[in-house]
Amino acid sequence: MTQLPAPGATPAAPPPAEPLPTTTPARPRWRETLGLLARNPTAAVSATVLVLIVLVAVFDETLAPYGPNEQDPSLQLQPPSRDHPFGTDEFGRDVFSRVILGAGTSLRVGFLSVAFALVVGTLIGLVAGYYGRWVDDTLMRLMDVLFAFPAVLLAIAIVAIRGAGPANAILAIGIVYVPIFARVTRASVLGVREEVYVRASRSVGASDWRLITRHVLPNAAPPIIVQTSVSLAFAVLAEAALSFLGLGPRRPNPSWGLMLADGRGFIEQAWWYAVFPGLAIVVTVLCFNLLGDGLRDVLDPRQRTLMAGGGR
Amino acid sequence: MTSPAEQEVLVSARGLEVHFPVRSGGALRRTTGALRAVDGVDLDVYRGETLGLVGESGCGKSTLGNALLRLVPPTGGTVTFDGLDVTAMGRKQLRELRRRAGMVFQDPFASLDPRRTVAQTVSEPLEVHGLHPGRQARAARVRELLELVGLDAGVAARYPHEFSGGQRQRVGIARALAGEPDFLVCDEAIASLDVSVQAQVLNLLRRLQRQLGLTLLFISHDLSAVRHVSDRIAVMYLGRVVEVGPAAAVAAEPQMPYARALLSAVPVPHPELERSRQRIVLRGDVPSPARVPSGCRFRTRCPDVFEPCPDVDPVLQPVGSAPGHLAACHLHGVVGAPVQRAEPGAPVGAGDPAS
Repeated sequence: MTQLPAPGATPAAPPPAEPLPTTTPARPRWRETLGLLARNPTAAVSATVLVLIVLVAVFDETLAPYGPNEQDPSLQLQPPSRDHPFGTDEFGRDVFSRVILGAGTSLRVGFLSVAFALVVGTLIGLVAGYYGRWVDDTLMRLMDVLFAFPAVLLAIAIVAIRGAGPANAILAIGIVYVPIFARVTRASVLGVREEVYVRASRSVGASDWRLITRHVLPNAAPPIIVQTSVSLAFAVLAEAALSFLGLGPRRPNPSWGLMLADGRGFIEQAWWYAVFPGLAIVVTVLCFNLLGDGLRDVLDPRQRTLMAGGGR
Repeated sequence: MTSPAEQEVLVSARGLEVHFPVRSGGALRRTTGALRAVDGVDLDVYRGETLGLVGESGCGKSTLGNALLRLVPPTGGTVTFDGLDVTAMGRKQLRELRRRAGMVFQDPFASLDPRRTVAQTVSEPLEVHGLHPGRQARAARVRELLELVGLDAGVAARYPHEFSGGQRQRVGIARALAGEPDFLVCDEAIASLDVSVQAQVLNLLRRLQRQLGLTLLFISHDLSAVRHVSDRIAVMYLGRVVEVGPAAAVAAEPQMPYARALLSAVPVPHPELERSRQRIVLRGDVPSPARVPSGCRFRTRCPDVFEPCPDVDPVLQPVGSAPGHLAACHLHGVVGAPVQRAEPGAPVGAGDPAS
């Protein structure tokens, strides 16, 4: 653009177009994000490990060499060996098989509870942030009340009221995470709502529904995605904690938290009983966290400081 | 250009007010005052013309433009669009208004959704208003619009970040034109562009206006640009239109001291004339729109202030020799509403000098 059309000159034809971008056809944003993520080694490794864990959970029956409750009284509390790589527990059950079969429980509770929190929390945050005023005040004060309780205590209280079991554990953990998603969403929506492109869409007649679904939510999504990954880590941990306290899945179903609780009693005679389920929890939680960090770097670097102390 | 008297009014504001509440801090958030961004504006925009709206930063130009389209709700006065009362419109009528009146925004980097392709952005009005139904018909219309604003139709699948400022602004203009509007508000549409690109976009707007018979409200603080494109010019100060008239008349012989000072700041593209140009430099700052002076709002900075200024709020009255040239200034006869201390600045109708 070096030539300046003389002011006042009436262009007969459309003015000379500036050189158009010569990049290859536009790639959708998510492809770009995936590409960036793959170049972040920590995130890439975490994602790979998580995919493996999910695959293990899906094919648990095929992968586990023994059944979850297959007992061999002659092999009680045996140390790791060729037949039992993670050793055996006090009933002679294979710890390796039970860790594999417990993955499903942990992940299912984790995913479902976070999905619940994601849907409900995002909806609340979206409505509060978009409509503002008393809607915002009412909803966010409600969230503050929920937020005021220590997370695990609140989950324990909910399970105590509704009774133990996986379904109630999912609900309890889900409710605990609703305020976090509501807050993250609201903060993000507050910023996006004021963007000129939202005003521009309104100026051509777009409805509130259209503005929210087509413009506000997609642009407010990055911190919510990051929060989802981080919350999955905490949800797996919370499931383990609830199981540990006897408020999650019931014995003899395999669950990492339950195994950890039971193994605790034998920690001096049989370290493998508690350590392997514990390791499974650590690896899963760590991977979700690292993936969350990676996603944050890729999607939303500005949120880094904002959320540094916010997890629970 | 026919004289304004013979022309049909498309958009009209009478006593238009946009007051934002000023709230105290603290939990109670009591309303302690009003920021009078637009404070009693009388303005007519004639069909097919370009009306330039000038004034310094913060004088309410943009708010006025937004209020005319009800993108900012007016707190007082009326706006009519093609005879319909904009302030009283229901859902359906308002949607039709959004189709018939478009807006081009200042910052082309902020006014396009970064997650949507050019085609999605430009076709949004088509989807919203059910124009050109069908995927293919819409795509064809989008191509047509892109070519209309001087872009290659092949850019439809691209994202805004791939474009320069000028190209993005063309996309913004294409979006504003998608609903085949009668009226286009250009809110500082060239302010954040490079100078060379400014000229291109300006010429594009002029071409589109002739080609499509648009009515244009061109809001800008760039007086040269306004003079270049406008048929008429309105000068705004502190929330009020203080002078309006044919572009040549307002530019050549501004009648109100503020307009005179504002226009004297425009450089003349002729070295000798430029050297002899008399500049009127105003003293003081613009008063806060939350504390508008009584009477004439310009009196605190006016070089010609005299007795009636603090006591009578001037209304627009015919001045100068050109027909349709109006100014709100007591130098042309003291006309206006005496200040009532309780409720200052009651707006008075425009073409009504005998009050």
